[in-house]
Order: sequence, then C-alpha cells, then structure tokens
Amino acid sequence: MNMMKKCILTLMLFVVVIVSGCRSSAPVYHIREDIDFSYFKKVAVMPLDNLTPERAAADIVRQIVTSELLASGLVDVIVPGEVMTALNDLDIKNISSLNEKQIQAIGKSLQVEGLIIGAVEKYGETRIGNVSAPEATITLMMADTGSGNIVWSMTGTRGGADFMARHFGAKSETMSETVMVLIRGMVQTLKRQ
Amino acid sequence: MMLRDKRKLLFYVCLVFICGCSGGVKHYSRPHTDVKHIKSIAVLPFENYTTDGYADEKIGSITGIELLSRGIDVTEPGEVGRVLQEMRVSSLKALTPSDIQEIGEALKVDGIMGGSVSVYQISRGISVSYPEVSVYLTLYESATGKVLWSTWHTSGGPGFWTRHFGAEIATLGEVSRNVIKEAFDNLF
Repeated sequence: MNMMKKCILTLMLFVVVIVSGCRSSAPVYHIREDIDFSYFKKVAVMPLDNLTPERAAADIVRQIVTSELLASGLVDVIVPGEVMTALNDLDIKNISSLNEKQIQAIGKSLQVEGLIIGAVEKYGETRIGNVSAPEATITLMMADTGSGNIVWSMTGTRGGADFMARHFGAKSETMSETVMVLIRGMVQTLKRQ
Repeated sequence: MMLRDKRKLLFYVCLVFICGCSGGVKHYSRPHTDVKHIKSIAVLPFENYTTDGYADEKIGSITGIELLSRGIDVTEPGEVGRVLQEMRVSSLKALTPSDIQEIGEALKVDGIMGGSVSVYQISRGISVSYPEVSVYLTLYESATGKVLWSTWHTSGGPGFWTRHFGAEIATLGEVSRNVIKEAFDNLF
C-alpha cells in the first residue's frame, strides 16, 4: 500500500512539474464587438511589412494567410495581382501607414469589404543554449473599408522546442509547420465570431 | 478480467496515436464548382522564396509530371514562357484575372497553375538534420480568371525512427514529390 502511495505521489509531482512548464495557449486579440463579421464577404490581403532579416518572410506569410483565409471558408480573397494594380493606380507606396481615406479608396477600387494588413516580426530559428528551434511572431489586422477602422487585430507568436522535444526527443515542429499553425490559430479567432 | 484491461489499454494506446496524426492537407475549393472540366493546365513559373536558386524550377517540373500522371494535359514550359514574353508579363505576382484569361486563351488551356516555393532546404533540428519543403499552389480557371483551388502545404521533418534510431531520412527530392502528391490528392 505504501509503495502504491509513493508511486501516486511521484506521478502527481511529475504532472505538476510538467503543467508548471506549460503556458496558456489562449490567443489574445482585439475584435470590435459592434461589428457583424458576416458582412465581410471579400477581403484583400495587403503586402505585409517584413521586420525580419529573412528576405522573403513577408511574402511567405502573406501566401499562408491568403491560403488559410480561403480554406477557412470565411471570406473570399482577391487575387494578389489586383491588389498590386490598385496600389499602383492609387499611387500608394507606403503600406505600413495607411490612413482612413487610403483604406476606403483601396476598398472601393478592389470592391472588398475588408483589408488584411500586418507585419512579420520574427521568422527564423532561435537558439537557446544548445537547442535551436523555429519561432514566428506575426501581427495581423483587418480594416473595414467602409469606415477605415481596424475591426480585428492580433499578435501571435509560436515556436521554441517544448519540454518533451528537449528532454525526450519528441517531434518538434519545422519552421513551416510553426508558421502554418500560428496563422491557422489566428484565422480561427475570426471564425469564433 | 485481465483480458478486458489489456483491451482497454490497447484502445487508449490507439487513441493516443490517432490523436497524434495529422488531419490531411487544408485547402480551398471554390464552392459549387467542379474541377472535372479542367482537362488541360499551363504551369506558370513558380516564385522562389528559398536560398536554392533552382527550387522553383525543380518544384515546377515535379508539378507538371504529377499533373500528367493524373491524366491532365500540361502545356510545354517553353510555350508558357513564349506567351508570358509576348504579353510582357514582368512579375507573376501582379497577374490580374484578365491576365489569366488572356494567358488561358493564348495557350488554349482550361486552367492555369501558379504558385511559389517557400522552403526547400535541409533544416537543422534539435538532434538531427532533415529535409523540409513548403509550397503554395493555386489553380485559376482560364475562362473566368478566378481561383478554383488553392493550398499551402509543407512536408518534411524528422520522424520517430530517425530521431531515436537514426533511420534513413528521405531526400529533398523525395520530400518534394511527396508534398506535391499530397497537395494534388485533394484536387484530382
């Protein structure tokens, strides 16, 4: 009996240690509560800002965002070539600081209800001690082209080798998987509305 | 009684394994549209976001072969290049639906396949190196210029046997073929 108790205690201690090492995976995001998201039928994904040393990070993330938005079935996404044409026609060079009027003008030109804008802040391998693991941090926002206001915004981060991967050789994600899961989670927050 | 416990244990072990499995390739298919009418496709040159200068050509070639093996007629890459040159298309990123319609008409194909290669490399994990390939594929309908199907898919990473027992890892070529095959499995 004593042996049994010891085993249970050891198991409980082990679980506590593992749980203590966990972090909350609940995404933190802002969403306008007075907005009916079923209104957004078609959106345009704008070129994202690249704040990383990885040359193509913004282009890669933009394509995954487009793919995930389409696959989610929430909205239709306009062809990227049309976005480039509209930006050229409207002579908009700086996408990172669009004002209300520019958002409205792009929306009118592309005939979309929403614009997805954002930035890639981290995209690459992070080395901690002798372990390196993929890490990505992305900020996405959706602007209502009718009012020019931001109706949804979220910064998501994911990566690093977890406890099981570091100590027991469990499978850790590749860079692509990290980014895909992160964006999928971010898009899911729109689905919850 | 003992046999019952063993069965229970086996059930839970299976459940854990099943939960650990991936759920297939997530993709978009245009609602109320059937891709069965797409019999011929032109594969546009892929965008290359990798450090391998030829990754786009390698993936483009695998894409063409995979489509042919599924009974789709694929236009010769030289013919696609000639039409793009004639149309003076400088950037494939800037193609509009009317451009796609024009390309489709010139090449007399039902669909246009575009895409990019995001990752094509041997990545370094915690204890092992492994191949990693990620692609973005989009199929446009030539008649309308609209997106019919699109997916972003990745393949690679070290498996259980590689991580723990040093089993042989697939080559970059094998992973590339796998990523394209898996992507097309939900299309044709």
